[in-house]
Amino acid sequence: MPFLDTNGPRLHVQMMGDGTPIIMLHGLITGSLATWYYTAAPTLARQHKVLLYDLRGHGRSERCLEGYDSNTQTQDLASIIEAYTEGPVALVGHSFGALIALKYALNNPSRVSRLALIELPLPPSRTGDFTAFIQQSDTEMVASLPAALQQLFGATKRGRRLKRFLASVQFLGTQSSLVADLANETDIPDSRLAALSIPTLGVFGSESSCRQTGQRLNKLLPAFRLVECAGGHYLPLEAPQVVTSAMESFFNG
Amino acid sequence: MNTNQRVLDGVTSAIQKVIGEDWILEETIDTDTSFADDLEMESIEFVALAEELQTIYGDELDFVSWLSRKDLDQIINLTVGDVVEFISECLS
Repeated sequence: MPFLDTNGPRLHVQMMGDGTPIIMLHGLITGSLATWYYTAAPTLARQHKVLLYDLRGHGRSERCLEGYDSNTQTQDLASIIEAYTEGPVALVGHSFGALIALKYALNNPSRVSRLALIELPLPPSRTGDFTAFIQQSDTEMVASLPAALQQLFGATKRGRRLKRFLASVQFLGTQSSLVADLANETDIPDSRLAALSIPTLGVFGSESSCRQTGQRLNKLLPAFRLVECAGGHYLPLEAPQVVTSAMESFFNG
Repeated sequence: MNTNQRVLDGVTSAIQKVIGEDWILEETIDTDTSFADDLEMESIEFVALAEELQTIYGDELDFVSWLSRKDLDQIINLTVGDVVEFISECLS
């Protein structure tokens, strides 16, 4: 199993396809690289080298106690980019993964060719939704997920997946610094966003609280394509075809 | 032993290795066994299984393009038989 093992945390990486590189980042708590592995990644891999990794504390990456803030996780992404790519890369992120991709692009514009932001939460105080999610009882937590996610974690005869999911939520929510890290996140000023000239795609769900972020980016970013579709915050699983085809036309021209 | 039976044995031991818990050794795994409902595998464990099978059967196994032709519901409802059939086709 491929792992990046540098000075930072041990990160689980999967690669598929060949061509110009695309790195895909998943969202916090319910996400892992499986978010993209079973949806857009195999399609994009027909024309690109697609690299997926589990964020720290998620999937098969190291269970870190600290460093869930976007700045530290942007360093994790920088380590991945340095280790596996040369020249410009395209970045895709869902939710907090989109915030990490955006921050990397703002800090390293010459390294990023294209950017796809799926359900970006900005200002990141919207991540307060995570905190509210974690504070529910186990039953409420699962019931609050859309059907697309319930089938991944919902009850089966041994309840094995549900137990493992809840153990992961417990670790991230109560033992790691994730909740405190998210509470300290700050907004990115309009002037900084307006200076981002990298071609950027935004895909937002019409029923998601992040929808306003899409409209904000549409006003500010000089090279922005906005796609809105039916669905909520977990768009890669709720509307996989729409998200995949939006990215296919954006990356393949 | 025909190819499908040999592949089923290979897939079974790969599943046991990836899940790595005692109960799976007692579990009967056949072509009707579903990854999600019967084996209760997490989606990230299925990624590890694909990698394990790739190691066993080599690059002839193009899991990625096989998955790219399936939608999410089909992937969630995959059975051991679907994977055995796919591997047998790649090997033939």
